[in-house]
Amino acid sequence: MVVLESSVAADVTKPKTDNRPARAGWGLVAPALALMVLILLIPIIVAGVLSFTNYSLGNAGFDWIGLKNYERLFTRSTYEKMFVATFTYVVTVVPISVGLGLGAALLVHSLGRIGDIYKTIYFLPVMATLLAMAIAWEFMLHPTIGMVNRTLEMACGTWFEVIPFFAGGCADGFPLWLGDRDYAIWVVCFIGIWQGFGFNMVLFLAGLTSVHRELYHAAEMDGARSGWERFWLVTWPALGPTTVFVVTISCIRAFQVFDTIEAFWPQGGGPNKSAYVMMFAIFEKGIQQNLIGIGSAITMLFLLFVMFLTLIQRWLVERKVHY
Amino acid sequence: MTRDWWKHLVLILGAIIVLAPFYMMVSYSFKSPGEIDRGEGGFFGRQEQMIDPRCIALRQPGRADIEAARTRFLGQDDASVQASLLAETEAACSMRPVVFNYSKAFTEAPLVRYLLNGVAVTLSIFLIQSVVALPAAYALAKLNFWGRDAVFGLVLFCLLIPVHAIALPLYIGLAKLGLTNTYAALVVPWTISVFGIFLMRQFFMTVPDDLIDAARMDGMSELTIVWRVMLPTAIPALLAFAIFSVVAHWNDYFWPRIVVTGNRDLFTPPLGLREFKGDGDGSFFGPMMATATVIVTPLIVAFLLAQRRFIEGITLSGMK
Repeated sequence: MVVLESSVAADVTKPKTDNRPARAGWGLVAPALALMVLILLIPIIVAGVLSFTNYSLGNAGFDWIGLKNYERLFTRSTYEKMFVATFTYVVTVVPISVGLGLGAALLVHSLGRIGDIYKTIYFLPVMATLLAMAIAWEFMLHPTIGMVNRTLEMACGTWFEVIPFFAGGCADGFPLWLGDRDYAIWVVCFIGIWQGFGFNMVLFLAGLTSVHRELYHAAEMDGARSGWERFWLVTWPALGPTTVFVVTISCIRAFQVFDTIEAFWPQGGGPNKSAYVMMFAIFEKGIQQNLIGIGSAITMLFLLFVMFLTLIQRWLVERKVHY
Repeated sequence: MTRDWWKHLVLILGAIIVLAPFYMMVSYSFKSPGEIDRGEGGFFGRQEQMIDPRCIALRQPGRADIEAARTRFLGQDDASVQASLLAETEAACSMRPVVFNYSKAFTEAPLVRYLLNGVAVTLSIFLIQSVVALPAAYALAKLNFWGRDAVFGLVLFCLLIPVHAIALPLYIGLAKLGLTNTYAALVVPWTISVFGIFLMRQFFMTVPDDLIDAARMDGMSELTIVWRVMLPTAIPALLAFAIFSVVAHWNDYFWPRIVVTGNRDLFTPPLGLREFKGDGDGSFFGPMMATATVIVTPLIVAFLLAQRRFIEGITLSGMK
């Protein structure tokens, strides 16, 4: 009945030129539009304006201090550490979690239905509350009663001691991990990878299932005999758009790392501020210490990075030919 | 199969590392403090009766208790009455480690309240997001009106903004309105999901126009069309979005940490766990891991039951 009527309806409604859709359209969009402006756009403008002031919550007024906040960001050693920690984290976590995600996806995909169990397991950290898992990792890495150092100690007295790391660990004790400024940021990176690569794997798996079988046959006809050649000829180019997307989303997520850092070091962002990442700096400066000006300046830089990354991604995707 | 053995080897090694903290979390939630300290007892621990030291300290028999109990232990002197009372409290305070850990998790902090807060906050966020996003998505997909492209352009721009990044100005706004430490503060910044609008718009584009025209012929208003015609067609997409939204907000720690300070009544599960960690001493590893297990379990169980849907929902963002 709907079908019968609709063909008639289409003829009837086509010529009408009343402005009902216009009014209805704006009416339906209005709440979303208002919220978008209030919650997403105005805060950016506010942060932009406040980044040029020395405003604090509770103060009646504020002074314009020009670029002083930004100047501080680029001259003080604390903020240098902040940039170093943030970029170390992003530059470590993104390539490794993307690489592991791709590797796991290829292996799981090639195993067929048995591979699904690994997919389930690797996806668990994505679902689990990161804060809870951070605390679990903290126990694992406990210097004396943690599972990690206990496992490492089992290697003492065996041929493992040939490796300098084990020799040193057995003689003077294994690292403190979270309490050691040489290890702290790497441990955080490891947990970031642990948590994120399953997500990337699932995205790659979705990309892999859409690669046409015929392409592999065609490649074989053309003389691509080894699996390696087929990968470079068919799989990798076909995964292009997926890869661009996975890299971007991993970058944005990596920039936002916070839960693990706050769980491990509620004060100060790690031994010697070695894990003082940007989100933690915004939290500490802007909210805990009420230095809104400097917090806003970090916010603006943060937004700049993230938007820049996303724009690069869109540009890459649009430029890309569709395979 | 034999050709694939190295793949299984690599994947199993990976699986061990992935599962290690889950194993440890659940295992510690079963064990007594002593077993945790010494690292023994396997996965379940030995489950020997243990005595809760705090419980003993709280129920230390005083002068008055001894006087009151004298009638029960006729003809004994004070010391032996006290001794038998102590034995009684010890019996009352001893329990299996697993019972100890999980009962502590629920009694040391109002964990049930935290869980209910979590449910209330995540569900209200999802409901408001849908109520706001569905009409907008419909208008952007199916109605021709002046300015539509500009609005859609704005949606695309807003997709670039991670809400966590603008937490500071949002916090200032809420503080100015006196809304920090309220449920509203936990929900308000998430009421608009640009991603939800974008996703539902893409979905609505595929709905045939004839269906809508027919509804118009029946005299439905545009808003009625959204709820009576479009919503039923969009259930699969909406379900995927629901999973995406609920998982993100149940697990979110950053935003609640910012707007809820001190007021325990408003704590979401991750905040509750964080507080537990803050004031716990060494002997509280067990109860803390029990809390962590309780918080993580609902989503994991839901995921294991409906894997395909969950993976679709979480990777939705891959459709961009």
